[in-house]
Amino acid sequence: MESGFYGSSLDGNLKCKFEESGLANTHEIMEKAVRWFRSRSIFVVAYGTGCGAIEMPPTFTSRYDAERMGVVGVATPRQADLIILSGYLAYKTLRRVIRTYEQMQKPRYIMTLGSCPINGGMYWDSYNTIKKLDDYLPIDVSVTGCMPRPEAVIDGFVLLQERIRNGEKAGWEKYDENFEFYKENQKRVLGGHIDPSYETDWYNLKSGGKA
Amino acid sequence: MDLASKLEKLSLELVQKQDYLYSVTIDFERLESLLLSFLNEFGYITLDSINCRDDLEDGFFTITYCLQTEERDHVVMIQTKIQRENASLPTMHTIWPQAEIMEREMHEMFGVDFPGHPTLIDFALEYWDNMPPLRRDFDTLEYVNSMNPFREQRNDALDAKEEMKKKREAKKAAKLKAQQEAEAKAALEAQNNPSDEVKNEE
Ligand code: SF4
Repeated sequence: MESGFYGSSLDGNLKCKFEESGLANTHEIMEKAVRWFRSRSIFVVAYGTGCGAIEMPPTFTSRYDAERMGVVGVATPRQADLIILSGYLAYKTLRRVIRTYEQMQKPRYIMTLGSCPINGGMYWDSYNTIKKLDDYLPIDVSVTGCMPRPEAVIDGFVLLQERIRNGEKAGWEKYDENFEFYKENQKRVLGGHIDPSYETDWYNLKSGGKA
Repeated sequence: MDLASKLEKLSLELVQKQDYLYSVTIDFERLESLLLSFLNEFGYITLDSINCRDDLEDGFFTITYCLQTEERDHVVMIQTKIQRENASLPTMHTIWPQAEIMEREMHEMFGVDFPGHPTLIDFALEYWDNMPPLRRDFDTLEYVNSMNPFREQRNDALDAKEEMKKKREAKKAAKLKAQQEAEAKAALEAQNNPSDEVKNEE
Protein backbone atom coordinates (compact mmCIF):
# COMPACT_ATOMS: atom_id res chain seq x y z
CA MET A 1 0.00 0.00 0.00
CA GLU A 2 1.82 3.07 -1.19
CA SER A 3 -0.35 5.63 0.51
CA GLY A 4 -3.62 5.43 2.37
CA PHE A 5 -7.05 6.70 1.64
CA TYR A 6 -5.92 10.17 2.46
CA GLY A 7 -3.16 10.00 -0.10
CA SER A 8 -3.13 10.58 -3.79
CA SER A 9 -4.50 7.10 -4.51
CA LEU A 10 -7.21 5.05 -2.88
CA ASP A 11 -6.62 2.44 -0.26
CA GLY A 12 -5.29 -0.71 -1.95
CA ASN A 13 -7.84 -3.06 -0.40
CA LEU A 14 -10.73 -0.93 -1.45
CA LYS A 15 -9.34 -0.76 -4.95
CA CYS A 16 -9.11 -4.58 -5.14
CA LYS A 17 -12.68 -4.93 -3.95
CA PHE A 18 -13.88 -2.59 -6.63
CA GLU A 19 -12.01 -4.55 -9.24
CA GLU A 20 -13.37 -7.90 -7.98
CA SER A 21 -16.90 -6.70 -8.32
CA GLY A 22 -16.28 -5.54 -11.87
CA LEU A 23 -16.15 -1.86 -11.08
CA ALA A 24 -12.67 -1.20 -12.30
CA ASN A 25 -13.25 2.47 -12.88
CA THR A 26 -15.01 3.18 -9.66
CA HIS A 27 -11.89 3.85 -7.68
CA GLU A 28 -10.88 6.51 -10.12
CA ILE A 29 -14.22 8.18 -9.82
CA MET A 30 -14.09 7.92 -6.06
CA GLU A 31 -10.65 9.37 -6.03
CA LYS A 32 -11.77 12.30 -8.10
CA ALA A 33 -14.69 12.87 -5.77
CA VAL A 34 -12.47 12.73 -2.70
CA ARG A 35 -10.08 15.21 -4.24
CA TRP A 36 -12.90 17.53 -5.18
CA PHE A 37 -14.34 17.49 -1.68
CA ARG A 38 -10.92 17.99 -0.20
CA SER A 39 -10.27 21.00 -2.37
CA ARG A 40 -13.48 22.61 -1.16
CA SER A 41 -12.78 22.26 2.56
CA ILE A 42 -9.42 23.70 3.42
CA PHE A 43 -8.84 24.35 7.08
CA VAL A 44 -6.17 26.91 7.67
CA VAL A 45 -3.89 27.56 10.56
CA ALA A 46 -2.53 31.03 9.99
CA TYR A 47 0.96 31.42 11.38
CA GLY A 48 1.74 35.12 11.27
CA THR A 49 5.49 35.01 11.00
CA GLY A 50 5.96 38.43 9.43
CA CYS A 51 4.26 41.61 8.30
CA GLY A 52 2.10 39.76 5.74
CA ALA A 53 -0.08 38.52 8.58
CA ILE A 54 -1.92 41.83 8.43
CA GLU A 55 -3.59 40.75 5.17
CA MET A 56 -5.14 37.66 6.67
CA PRO A 57 -7.94 39.19 8.76
CA PRO A 58 -9.49 40.93 5.71
CA THR A 59 -9.07 37.73 3.70
CA PHE A 60 -11.05 35.69 6.19
CA THR A 61 -13.64 38.25 7.25
CA SER A 62 -16.66 39.65 5.47
CA ARG A 63 -14.89 41.91 2.98
CA TYR A 64 -13.11 39.18 1.01
CA ASP A 65 -14.72 36.23 2.76
CA ALA A 66 -12.51 33.27 1.97
CA GLU A 67 -15.12 31.03 3.55
CA ARG A 68 -17.26 31.12 0.42
CA MET A 69 -14.53 28.98 -1.17
CA GLY A 70 -14.44 26.55 1.69
CA VAL A 71 -11.37 28.08 3.31
CA VAL A 72 -11.82 28.37 7.06
CA GLY A 73 -9.45 29.23 9.86
CA VAL A 74 -8.91 26.82 12.73
CA ALA A 75 -7.17 27.13 16.03
CA THR A 76 -4.62 24.35 16.11
CA PRO A 77 -2.31 22.64 13.64
CA ARG A 78 -3.78 19.22 14.37
CA GLN A 79 -7.08 20.32 12.85
CA ALA A 80 -5.59 22.05 9.84
CA ASP A 81 -4.91 21.12 6.22
CA LEU A 82 -3.04 24.25 5.28
CA ILE A 83 -0.54 26.39 7.12
CA ILE A 84 -0.03 29.94 5.93
CA LEU A 85 3.38 31.40 6.69
CA SER A 86 3.05 35.08 6.16
CA GLY A 87 6.48 36.55 5.84
CA TYR A 88 10.11 36.32 6.87
CA LEU A 89 11.14 33.56 9.24
CA ALA A 90 13.71 34.05 11.94
CA TYR A 91 15.64 30.94 12.95
CA LYS A 92 13.67 30.97 16.16
CA THR A 93 10.39 31.02 14.25
CA LEU A 94 11.55 28.35 11.84
CA ARG A 95 12.11 25.99 14.74
CA ARG A 96 8.50 26.44 15.84
CA VAL A 97 7.13 26.31 12.32
CA ILE A 98 8.78 22.95 11.67
CA ARG A 99 7.25 21.64 14.86
CA THR A 100 3.85 23.01 13.90
CA TYR A 101 4.05 21.59 10.40
CA GLU A 102 4.98 18.15 11.62
CA GLN A 103 2.03 18.16 13.98
CA MET A 104 -0.41 18.64 11.13
CA GLN A 105 -2.19 15.61 9.76
CA LYS A 106 -1.68 14.53 6.19
CA PRO A 107 -2.64 15.69 3.68
CA ARG A 108 -1.14 19.01 4.60
CA TYR A 109 -0.11 21.97 2.53
CA ILE A 110 2.00 25.09 2.98
CA MET A 111 1.29 28.47 1.51
CA THR A 112 3.67 31.39 1.95
CA LEU A 113 2.92 35.07 1.55
CA GLY A 114 5.37 37.66 0.37
CA SER A 115 8.83 37.63 -1.09
CA CYS A 116 10.66 37.01 2.18
CA PRO A 117 10.12 33.23 2.26
CA ILE A 118 11.11 33.03 -1.39
CA ASN A 119 14.43 34.86 -1.43
CA GLY A 120 14.75 36.76 1.80
CA GLY A 121 12.98 39.87 0.53
CA MET A 122 14.10 43.02 2.23
CA TYR A 123 15.50 40.96 5.10
CA TRP A 124 17.98 39.16 2.87
CA ASP A 125 20.99 40.40 4.85
CA SER A 126 19.63 39.92 8.32
CA TYR A 127 21.74 37.86 10.69
CA ASN A 128 18.70 36.07 12.01
CA THR A 129 16.36 35.20 9.15
CA ILE A 130 16.43 32.47 6.56
CA LYS A 131 16.49 33.22 2.87
CA LYS A 132 14.92 30.25 1.09
CA LEU A 133 12.17 28.55 3.00
CA ASP A 134 11.86 25.74 0.48
CA ASP A 135 15.20 24.39 1.67
CA TYR A 136 13.62 23.58 5.01
CA LEU A 137 9.98 22.87 4.28
CA PRO A 138 8.11 21.93 1.11
CA ILE A 139 6.04 24.83 -0.17
CA ASP A 140 2.89 24.22 -2.20
CA VAL A 141 1.99 27.77 -3.16
CA SER A 142 4.02 30.96 -2.88
CA VAL A 143 2.06 34.15 -3.19
CA THR A 144 4.38 36.96 -4.16
CA GLY A 145 4.15 40.60 -3.23
CA CYS A 146 5.38 42.67 -0.37
CA MET A 147 2.83 42.19 1.05
CA PRO A 148 0.25 40.41 -1.14
CA ARG A 149 -3.25 41.86 -1.21
CA PRO A 150 -6.18 39.66 -0.15
CA GLU A 151 -7.08 39.19 -3.81
CA ALA A 152 -3.68 37.64 -4.38
CA VAL A 153 -4.08 35.43 -1.33
CA ILE A 154 -7.41 34.22 -2.67
CA ASP A 155 -5.76 33.61 -6.02
CA GLY A 156 -3.31 31.42 -4.13
CA PHE A 157 -6.21 29.47 -2.63
CA VAL A 158 -7.69 28.93 -6.08
CA LEU A 159 -4.37 27.65 -7.37
CA LEU A 160 -4.01 25.31 -4.45
CA GLN A 161 -7.54 23.98 -4.94
CA GLU A 162 -6.81 23.37 -8.59
CA ARG A 163 -3.69 21.44 -7.71
CA ILE A 164 -5.53 19.33 -5.18
CA ARG A 165 -8.31 18.61 -7.67
CA ASN A 166 -5.83 17.58 -10.35
CA GLY A 167 -4.10 15.26 -7.92
CA GLU A 168 -0.71 16.88 -8.39
CA LYS A 169 2.10 15.81 -6.14
CA ALA A 170 1.81 17.81 -2.95
CA GLY A 171 4.50 19.20 -0.71
CA TRP A 172 3.97 16.72 2.10
CA GLU A 173 4.70 13.83 -0.24
CA LYS A 174 7.94 15.50 -1.24
CA TYR A 175 8.72 16.04 2.44
CA ASP A 176 8.32 12.34 3.10
CA GLU A 177 10.41 11.37 0.11
CA ASN A 178 13.25 13.82 0.73
CA PHE A 179 13.07 13.75 4.48
CA GLU A 180 16.85 13.51 4.91
CA PHE A 181 17.45 16.49 2.64
CA TYR A 182 15.08 18.69 4.60
CA LYS A 183 16.35 17.54 7.98
CA GLU A 184 19.93 18.16 6.94
CA ASN A 185 19.16 21.72 5.91
CA GLN A 186 17.23 22.33 9.09
CA LYS A 187 20.16 21.08 11.12
CA ARG A 188 22.55 23.32 9.22
CA VAL A 189 20.88 26.54 10.33
CA LEU A 190 19.35 25.46 13.62
CA GLY A 191 22.40 23.64 14.86
CA GLY A 192 21.87 20.69 17.15
CA HIS A 193 18.98 22.47 18.83
CA ILE A 194 16.16 20.99 16.87
CA ASP A 195 13.03 19.51 18.32
CA PRO A 196 12.48 15.78 18.12
CA SER A 197 10.78 14.95 14.89
CA TYR A 198 7.11 14.17 14.76
CA GLU A 199 7.71 12.20 11.58
CA THR A 200 7.97 8.97 13.47
CA ASP A 201 5.87 5.89 13.02
CA TRP A 202 5.09 5.27 16.66
CA TYR A 203 3.44 1.93 15.90
CA ASN A 204 6.47 0.46 14.15
CA LEU A 205 9.31 1.85 16.17
CA LYS A 206 11.15 -1.49 16.22
CA SER A 207 11.31 -1.73 12.46
CA GLY A 208 12.90 1.70 12.61
CA GLY A 209 10.02 3.05 10.63
CA LYS A 210 9.46 6.55 9.50
CA ALA A 211 5.84 7.42 8.93
CA MET B 1 16.18 74.97 35.68
CA ASP B 2 17.10 74.07 39.23
CA LEU B 3 18.40 70.65 38.17
CA ALA B 4 21.23 72.52 36.46
CA SER B 5 22.24 74.24 39.68
CA LYS B 6 22.00 70.99 41.61
CA LEU B 7 24.28 69.32 39.07
CA GLU B 8 26.65 72.24 39.19
CA LYS B 9 27.28 71.47 42.82
CA LEU B 10 28.40 68.01 41.67
CA SER B 11 30.54 69.82 39.05
CA LEU B 12 28.47 68.43 36.19
CA GLU B 13 27.02 70.30 33.26
CA LEU B 14 23.42 70.00 32.03
CA VAL B 15 23.25 70.47 28.26
CA GLN B 16 19.97 71.23 26.56
CA LYS B 17 19.60 69.28 23.29
CA GLN B 18 15.98 70.05 22.43
CA ASP B 19 13.24 71.82 24.33
CA TYR B 20 12.37 68.66 26.27
CA LEU B 21 15.71 66.85 26.05
CA TYR B 22 18.76 67.36 28.29
CA SER B 23 21.96 65.46 28.64
CA VAL B 24 24.64 64.95 31.28
CA THR B 25 27.98 63.35 30.60
CA ILE B 26 29.72 61.57 33.41
CA ASP B 27 32.66 59.24 33.85
CA PHE B 28 32.03 55.61 34.57
CA GLU B 29 33.21 55.63 38.21
CA ARG B 30 30.54 58.10 39.32
CA LEU B 31 27.72 56.65 37.19
CA GLU B 32 26.03 54.48 39.78
CA SER B 33 25.97 57.12 42.51
CA LEU B 34 24.65 59.71 40.07
CA LEU B 35 21.83 57.42 38.92
CA LEU B 36 20.93 56.82 42.56
CA SER B 37 20.84 60.52 43.38
CA PHE B 38 18.71 61.16 40.28
CA LEU B 39 16.19 58.68 41.61
CA ASN B 40 16.28 59.53 45.31
CA GLU B 41 17.06 63.23 45.39
CA PHE B 42 15.90 64.69 42.07
CA GLY B 43 12.76 62.56 41.66
CA TYR B 44 13.51 60.88 38.35
CA ILE B 45 11.45 57.80 39.02
CA THR B 46 11.18 56.38 35.50
CA LEU B 47 13.91 54.70 33.51
CA ASP B 48 12.86 54.97 29.86
CA SER B 49 15.61 53.02 28.23
CA ILE B 50 19.25 52.02 28.34
CA ASN B 51 20.98 52.40 25.02
CA CYS B 52 24.34 51.41 23.71
CA ARG B 53 26.32 52.84 20.82
CA ASP B 54 29.37 51.12 19.42
CA ASP B 55 32.24 53.54 18.85
CA LEU B 56 34.49 50.99 17.24
CA GLU B 57 37.17 53.43 16.08
CA ASP B 58 37.69 54.90 19.54
CA GLY B 59 37.38 51.56 21.29
CA PHE B 60 34.48 52.21 23.64
CA PHE B 61 30.74 51.85 24.02
CA THR B 62 28.64 54.94 24.74
CA ILE B 63 25.89 54.06 27.19
CA THR B 64 22.86 56.29 27.62
CA TYR B 65 20.32 56.12 30.41
CA CYS B 66 17.10 58.05 29.74
CA LEU B 67 15.24 59.23 32.83
CA GLN B 68 11.93 61.00 33.41
CA THR B 69 10.20 62.59 36.37
CA GLU B 70 6.64 61.97 37.38
CA GLU B 71 5.49 64.99 35.33
CA ARG B 72 6.81 63.37 32.12
CA ASP B 73 7.58 66.78 30.63
CA HIS B 74 11.25 66.25 29.85
CA VAL B 75 13.90 63.56 29.46
CA VAL B 76 17.40 63.60 30.86
CA MET B 77 20.02 61.46 29.18
CA ILE B 78 22.92 60.35 31.32
CA GLN B 79 25.83 59.36 29.13
CA THR B 80 28.95 57.48 29.96
CA LYS B 81 31.70 55.64 28.13
CA ILE B 82 32.97 52.16 28.87
CA GLN B 83 35.75 50.08 27.41
CA ARG B 84 34.75 47.89 24.50
CA GLU B 85 36.85 44.96 25.63
CA ASN B 86 35.30 43.00 28.50
CA ALA B 87 32.65 45.66 28.83
CA SER B 88 30.76 45.55 32.07
CA LEU B 89 28.16 47.75 33.78
CA PRO B 90 26.49 47.78 37.19
CA THR B 91 23.03 46.26 36.99
CA MET B 92 20.12 48.58 37.80
CA HIS B 93 17.37 45.99 38.02
CA THR B 94 17.12 46.27 41.81
CA ILE B 95 16.22 49.96 41.49
CA TRP B 96 14.26 50.04 38.24
CA PRO B 97 12.80 46.56 37.57
CA GLN B 98 12.39 47.31 33.87
CA ALA B 99 16.15 47.50 33.59
CA GLU B 100 16.31 43.74 33.78
CA ILE B 101 15.06 43.19 30.25
CA MET B 102 16.93 46.18 28.81
CA GLU B 103 20.15 44.88 30.22
CA ARG B 104 19.44 41.40 28.99
CA GLU B 105 19.01 42.73 25.47
CA MET B 106 22.20 44.77 25.69
CA HIS B 107 24.06 41.72 26.88
CA GLU B 108 22.81 39.75 23.91
CA MET B 109 23.33 42.38 21.23
CA PHE B 110 26.61 43.96 22.41
CA GLY B 111 28.07 41.47 24.85
CA VAL B 112 28.08 43.87 27.80
CA ASP B 113 28.29 42.00 31.08
CA PHE B 114 26.13 42.84 34.10
CA PRO B 115 27.54 41.20 37.25
CA GLY B 116 24.75 40.25 39.62
CA HIS B 117 22.07 40.23 36.95
CA PRO B 118 19.71 37.29 37.56
CA THR B 119 18.65 36.42 34.01
CA LEU B 120 21.41 36.96 31.50
CA ILE B 121 19.94 34.39 29.14
CA ASP B 122 18.72 34.47 25.55
CA PHE B 123 16.44 37.37 24.75
CA ALA B 124 15.48 37.57 21.08
CA LEU B 125 18.02 35.16 19.68
CA GLU B 126 18.21 31.49 20.43
CA TYR B 127 21.37 29.42 20.99
CA TRP B 128 23.51 32.21 19.54
CA ASP B 129 27.16 31.20 19.72
CA ASN B 130 28.76 33.83 17.49
CA MET B 131 29.93 37.35 18.29
CA PRO B 132 27.05 39.54 19.55
CA PRO B 133 25.41 40.64 16.30
CA LEU B 134 25.14 44.40 16.85
CA ARG B 135 28.84 44.88 17.56
CA ARG B 136 30.26 46.65 14.57
CA ASP B 137 33.13 44.22 14.13
CA PHE B 138 30.60 41.46 13.48
CA ASP B 139 30.59 40.95 9.71
CA THR B 140 26.89 40.52 9.06
CA LEU B 141 27.18 40.06 5.33
CA GLU B 142 29.77 37.34 5.58
CA TYR B 143 27.78 35.54 8.23
CA VAL B 144 24.58 35.75 6.18
CA ASN B 145 26.27 34.48 3.05
CA SER B 146 27.80 31.58 4.91
CA MET B 147 24.45 30.60 6.44
CA ASN B 148 22.02 31.37 3.62
CA PRO B 149 23.19 31.10 0.03
CA PHE B 150 21.31 33.08 -2.57
CA ARG B 151 18.68 31.51 -4.73
CA GLU B 152 19.91 30.93 -8.24
CA GLN B 153 18.77 33.57 -10.69
CA ARG B 154 16.18 32.76 -13.24
CA ASN B 155 17.37 33.91 -16.64
CA ASP B 156 14.07 34.12 -18.45
CA ALA B 157 13.39 37.59 -17.08
CA LEU B 158 12.03 39.98 -19.69
CA ASP B 159 12.99 43.59 -20.22
CA ALA B 160 10.20 45.56 -18.59
CA LYS B 161 10.67 48.60 -20.85
CA GLU B 162 10.31 46.66 -24.06
CA GLU B 163 7.44 44.60 -22.80
CA MET B 164 5.53 47.75 -21.86
CA LYS B 165 6.28 49.22 -25.29
CA LYS B 166 4.95 46.12 -27.00
CA LYS B 167 1.86 46.20 -24.84
CA ARG B 168 1.20 49.84 -25.62
CA GLU B 169 1.61 49.27 -29.34
CA ALA B 170 -0.74 46.31 -29.26
CA LYS B 171 -3.30 48.42 -27.43
CA LYS B 172 -2.96 51.20 -29.99
CA ALA B 173 -3.37 48.79 -32.89
CA ALA B 174 -6.46 47.25 -31.29
CA LYS B 175 -7.97 50.66 -30.79
CA LEU B 176 -7.29 51.66 -34.39
CA LYS B 177 -8.79 48.43 -35.65
CA ALA B 178 -11.93 48.89 -33.59
CA GLN B 179 -12.29 52.42 -34.92
CA GLN B 180 -11.91 51.30 -38.53
CA GLU B 181 -14.45 48.55 -38.02
CA ALA B 182 -16.92 50.96 -36.52
CA GLU B 183 -16.46 53.33 -39.46
CA ALA B 184 -16.90 50.53 -42.00
CA LYS B 185 -20.04 49.39 -40.22
CA ALA B 186 -21.49 52.88 -40.23
CA ALA B 187 -20.73 53.23 -43.95
CA LEU B 188 -22.38 49.88 -44.62
CA GLU B 189 -25.48 50.85 -42.72
CA ALA B 190 -25.71 54.11 -44.59
CA GLN B 191 -25.55 52.15 -47.86
CA ASN B 192 -28.26 49.74 -46.81
CA ASN B 193 -30.72 52.36 -45.65
CA PRO B 194 -30.37 55.20 -48.09
CA SER B 195 -33.96 56.18 -47.47
CA ASP B 196 -33.28 57.28 -43.90
CA GLU B 197 -32.93 60.91 -44.72
CA VAL B 198 -35.91 60.88 -46.99
CA LYS B 199 -38.05 59.36 -44.27
CA ASN B 200 -37.00 61.97 -41.81
CA GLU B 201 -37.98 64.71 -44.17
CA GLU B 202 -41.40 63.26 -44.59
S1 SF4 C 1 7.51 40.14 1.93
FE1 SF4 C 1 7.34 42.26 2.63
S2 SF4 C 1 5.41 42.29 3.80
FE2 SF4 C 1 6.06 40.15 3.63
S3 SF4 C 1 7.25 39.72 5.44
FE3 SF4 C 1 8.69 40.32 3.84
S4 SF4 C 1 8.95 42.53 4.14
FE4 SF4 C 1 7.11 41.93 5.27
